[in-house]
Formats: sequence, structure tokens, C-alpha cells
Amino acid sequence: MWTWEPGRHQTKVLYLGSEDSRSRLNISAPFTSLPVQEEMMTEYSNLSLESHNLSVTAAPITSLPVEEEMMTKAAPITSLPVQEEMKTKAVPIISLPVQEEMTTKYSNLTLESHSISMTERPNMPAEKNITLERPSNVELTCQFTPSGNLNAVNVTWKKGDKLLEDNYLVNATGSILYTQYRVAVINSKQMGSYSCFFGEKKQQRGTFNLKVPEINGKNKPLITYVGDTVVLICKCQDCLPLNWTWYSGNGSVQVPIGVPVNDKYVISGKHANETRLKITQLSEDDQGTYWCHAIFELGESEGHVELVVLSYLVPLKAFCAIAAEVVLLVAIILLFEMYTQKKKKPSDDGKEIEQGEQLKLDDSNGIENSGPRHRKNESVGQ
Amino acid sequence: MAYRAEPPDGGWGWMVVLSAFFQSALVFGVLRSFGVFFVEFVAAFEEPAARVSWIASIGIAVQQFGSPVGSVLSTKFGPRPVVMTGGILAALGMLLASFATSLTHLYLSIGLLSGSGWALTFTPTLACLSRYFSRRRSLATGLALTGVGLSSFAFAPLFQWLLNHYAWRGALLLVSALSLHLVACGALLRPLSLAEDPVVGGPGAQITSLLCHGPFLRYTIAITLINTGYFIPYVHLVAHLRDLGWDPLPAAFLLSVAAISDLVGRVASGWLGDAVPGPVARLLMLWTTLTGVILALYPVAEVPTGLVALTVAYGFTSGALTPVAFSVLPELVGTGKIYCGLGLVQMVESIGGLLGAPLSGYLRDVTGNYTASFVVAGAFLLAGSGVLITLPHFFCFSAPTSKPQDLVTEALDTKVPLPEEGLGED
Repeated sequence: MWTWEPGRHQTKVLYLGSEDSRSRLNISAPFTSLPVQEEMMTEYSNLSLESHNLSVTAAPITSLPVEEEMMTKAAPITSLPVQEEMKTKAVPIISLPVQEEMTTKYSNLTLESHSISMTERPNMPAEKNITLERPSNVELTCQFTPSGNLNAVNVTWKKGDKLLEDNYLVNATGSILYTQYRVAVINSKQMGSYSCFFGEKKQQRGTFNLKVPEINGKNKPLITYVGDTVVLICKCQDCLPLNWTWYSGNGSVQVPIGVPVNDKYVISGKHANETRLKITQLSEDDQGTYWCHAIFELGESEGHVELVVLSYLVPLKAFCAIAAEVVLLVAIILLFEMYTQKKKKPSDDGKEIEQGEQLKLDDSNGIENSGPRHRKNESVGQ
Repeated sequence: MAYRAEPPDGGWGWMVVLSAFFQSALVFGVLRSFGVFFVEFVAAFEEPAARVSWIASIGIAVQQFGSPVGSVLSTKFGPRPVVMTGGILAALGMLLASFATSLTHLYLSIGLLSGSGWALTFTPTLACLSRYFSRRRSLATGLALTGVGLSSFAFAPLFQWLLNHYAWRGALLLVSALSLHLVACGALLRPLSLAEDPVVGGPGAQITSLLCHGPFLRYTIAITLINTGYFIPYVHLVAHLRDLGWDPLPAAFLLSVAAISDLVGRVASGWLGDAVPGPVARLLMLWTTLTGVILALYPVAEVPTGLVALTVAYGFTSGALTPVAFSVLPELVGTGKIYCGLGLVQMVESIGGLLGAPLSGYLRDVTGNYTASFVVAGAFLLAGSGVLITLPHFFCFSAPTSKPQDLVTEALDTKVPLPEEGLGED
């Protein structure tokens, strides 16, 4: 376990950055030898950590002489929040005996720094979701303000359930305890959940979830009809996957689509962040869930779209039912009218039977003359 | 003869109110709720929203300009066959639209075909309603017109549900089945024969006499002016509120509040129109003036409370003027000429309606806010109410309302020749 001890004078000039220049690692720190993992860590330590000038004096790092070409990105051990433009970030990792021939293999990778600060409130799980698309260096920092003695607090890191032995630093400034973990994420094995733990009995936990970007399919099912053509779209916000693949799912089994290339399925995409699957000549067998997989360097992400294929008979049956109901209503109305008029004395029959009263749906002629007379008797009383 | 001297004012008339209620729901409610289909059309045909909204515009234009056709046919054949044919046409238009493969297809089927169907239903129904009532005319009209507001509330979620379950083709098929109920509503329009029917003559003669009728022409001008300003707040209120910094959800909610007060206004004004003696034109002038004043006050109100109060008042007064607007016409021209009269009025007032919203939009583009639009809308309404003052008997507080019998004698004086085939049985 590492402890940063201010007061120890170390001069470290670490120029990490582009491949062409500044790949010097001058480390003269008389630190103890590192286990092997640490060396591997430093192999990737020039991933995007531009330059770190660590001339550690007794004073906090802010008093480091910063040279011009140094873009110092130091860890926030010195209670500085992690920001890109922060100068004088001391990177304790530099204190490793890094070999000279360590070149900038991954020097064009970016640095992602994330931090969580926790207090002694046990009921608030501190968690942060980090979306990573490309390989990069990741710096995870936990800050903790214990109530009691700083030095009595035990600090551990875990990935998932596996305890991490090294690659992390612990520092205390004032009453705040900092710990920082660095990992170079280059493939999917480094993705997952990293947690920092403070304390033994009453453990405070902060979790960083490293994930690939999420893919959005469609939440509502798409309704289509037999014989139609449909386009299923999956997209993600700001990502650029290496490749897209489509699968159709029956239960839990996923069958790839488009492997024997045929006319029925056409995969295309207007932009890199979306994919479109066009299915022609739909039939009821095509119903179900379709999965789109986006392949990144750091893993895979998937979205899904549900497709429902209806036959034309479904709405047609509803239509016929309603149309039959309308015909019934019209028949009832007209028959009622004929009935009430037949009940009257037919003394005025034969008058007012107009040609225009030929109704399309019923062949009764409206006989109106007896109606008004009857109604007039009623309306007088109104 | 079997002709009645007076409208029945009840009895079967209430069934006609029911029929008119469902018809205004099925015609205007469908038109107003069609917006939920537009999103689907934009996605399905990959056309911009402006082109898709032409569907509703064509439908409304055909419905309004085709009103005289409906009127003429109803005068000849009676309202029942005309409305039933209109219902079949409207349903057929929607049915054909469910097979559409392009936007033009939709323009023709929904816009043209369904629009002509609607033209044959709405005007004859309202005219028939006016013939069935005289003392309770405003109340009956007000109740019937509440169908528009209530159906907008009901149909928008219903259409969305249909879209979620059947996609737009199936949903159009089911809306077509819904529109078939217009045929059933048409069956309810029992023909009515009134005393002045044989006197006023056939449709051609009626139109000629109407066009020479001074009060009718003045009324038409007034209604056109009112129509120009009437729709502007509906179209621009939400945008105006957004300009003032309101969020979309409270703005839409305020519009719903206006719709509710519109409903209340219709019924209240309908009742009031019958309760207050004297020409109904006076009440129309009252509501129109109030609406105009409220519109002119809109730019002044900045605080939310003021805006809410103004919107509620606007909803009430604008809803209040609709039933009395329809009730003034039979008083002017008599129930015999009501079909043709209403058809002509609808056709001319639609010009105002078509001009109003673009004019307001243009003013907004030129001036940068909605102040000018609202003030101009209020000015149009006040101008319309000013023209209403010129209607006959306006200032006579002791003269009775013109009864159908008076109009019979008036019509007899014009010596209109009777056509051979006789009138529609009304």
C-alpha cells in the first residue's frame, strides 16, 4: 500500500504524452521496488497522462515548479478536484522505478478522472456510472471524511468481489482521506465495478461502474401488417461502435440475421451511431424481439426492438362489427318511425311522399304528415 | 295541409339535438384530434409536417366551401338522405385513406372525399335543428355544439390508443367505422314540414332572394369579420405563452381550461339566449364585444394570474357567441330558407377563418410578438359586432321577435314561383 508522504523530496520529471516526443521518464525516486503489476501499470501510465512534474517538497504540490511544456495532470491527492486544466498534479505512480525503455505504447489514449466523496452517512450508497467507449486510462478517486482518527481507517479497493492488491494510493490531507486507483482500460476485461472501502466494521463504500455506452432501441412495440416493409432502428447518443450486428430472439435464443445475405433483410445505417434493419415481405413468423448489438473495443452493448405483425383481418373484423352495429341502429330508428306513424290514423296517407326520401339502407319512405300533427298536440302543453 | 305553423320546440326535436351533438363530435372532433395521426404520417411517408398538415386544411376548406351544396340538396330532398349520404362519403374517405401509399392519396381521400362528406352533414343538421326549435333554439344549438369540445377531449386519447394497437392503417379503418355513425345520426333527422316551406320556393329561388336580402348580407359580413378574429387565440395562445416564458405543459393545460370554459359558455349562452326576450342579435353583439375586448387586453396582461383569468374569460365568451350566432339566422331569414342561408353564411365566413390565422402569423413575424395579432383579432371582432348593430329590430326593446308567421307574410309578398316537384318535405 502506498502512502504519499509530503516532506520527502523527490524529483520526478515525467513527460508523458505524444508518441513523438516527451517520452522520457526520469524517475529518481528512491522508492521501494514495485511488484510486477506496478511495472505493468506504469507501462500504460503514459496513456494520456501528459506531463507530471513531481518535485515534491514539504509543501503541497502546488508549490512545484512547473515547467512550461508540462501539462501536469496530477491525482487529486492534494485535495484538488480532478480537472483537466489543473496544474501540478502529483502522480504518485511516478514514484515507481519505471524502466527507461518503456515507451509510449498507448500514449494517445485519454485520461478519464472520476471521483466520489463520501461522508459518514451509511445509508447513502455512493455510486457513479462511467461510460467508456475507447481504451483509456481511468483514475478513480474516493474522498472520505471520517469522524475519528484518520490513520485508523482501513482503505481497500475491490473489482467486483476480487480484492485489489496494488495500484492504489492513499493520502490524507487535513481531515479528509483520499484514495486513488488507476487502471488502464484496454479491453473488456478491465470493465466492471470498482469499489473503494473505508473502514473495517462500518464500511463506507463508493462504487464506480465502468460500462460501454447504452444502445436505444424502441420501448413500444412496432405494429405492422402482413406484407408490409418495416425499418428497425437502433441508435446511441454519442458513440461510434466498431460494428453492428442484428439478432432475432425467440425466447432466450438469439439467431443472427443477415448471415446468409438475402433480399429479405437489409442492414444499413446513415450515420455511424445508428443502424437500420429493413425487413420486407413481413409475415406472422417475423413477429418477436430483434436485438441490435454494438461492438466496441471495450465490449458489447445491445438494444432491442419488438415487432408485432398483424393480419389485416384484425382491424377488419372490428370494422365489420361496428358497421353492422350502425346498420342495426339505422334500421331500429327507421322501423321505430314507421311503427309510430302506422299507429296514427292513416287519414293523411299518400301525401308528402317524396321521391327524395329513397333511403339507401332502408326502403321505407318517410311518412311525415301524421308526425307533426301528433307532436303539435304535445308541444302545446310545453 | 300537413304543414306546421310553428316549430315543435321539443318532442322529437331533442332527438335532433342528440343527432347534432354526435355529428358535431364526429365531424369537428375528428378534425381537431387528427393531429395525433400527423406524427405517424410524417414518419410513415417521410414528409415534412407542413405538407402533412395540408390534409386537415383541405378537409376543412372542402367542408366549408361545400356547405351551400349541402344546403341546396337538403332544400330539395330534405336533410335525412343528404346527411346519410354525407356520412357514407366521410367513412369511405377514411376507408380509402387506410390503403394510402402516398401523401397525395391522403389529400384526395381524407381531404376531398371525407371533406365533401362532412360538408353534406354539418350544415343541414344545424339548419334542421333550427327548424325544430324556436323558443328554445339557442339552448338546443348550444347543447348540440358542446359535442365539439367534449369529443376533442375524448378522441385525442382514443386515437392514440388506436394508433398504439393497430398502427395508422388499422386506426384509420376504425375511424372510418366511427364515422359511419354519421349515417345513424342522419336517420334521426325526421323531416319536418313548416308553414312557410311552400312559399319560399326551391333552392335556386331561395339563394337569389337571400342575396338580395339586406339584413342577411349584413349578418354575413358581421359573421365573416367575427370568424377572422375568432380562431386566432386557439392557434397562437400556446405560442404566445411560450414567448412569455411559460413551460409547454402549463401552457397546454391552460388551453384545456379554456376548452372547459368554452363548453360552459356554450350551454350558458344557449340558455340565456332563450331566456332573454328580444332579438338574439343583441346577445351576439354582447358576447362578440366582450371577446374582442378580452383579446385586445391580452398583450397587457403579463402576470400569470391575469393571463389565466383572461383565458378563462375568453373561453367563456367565445363559446358563448357560437350558439347565438346560429340562432340569429332563422330570425333574419325564417326557417324556410334556413338551409340555403346557413350554407351561404358558412361558405363566406370560411374566408375569414382561412385568412385570420395566417394574417396573425404574418403580423407576428413582422412585429416579433403577438401583441399586434391579438389586437387585430380583437379589432375584427369589434368590427363584426358593430355591423350587428345595423340588424333590424336591434334597438327595439318593445317589438316582439320575428315569428315564422311574419316571415311567411314577408315571403308571400315576394311572389316566388313554386317549382314543379314540390319542396323537400320539411
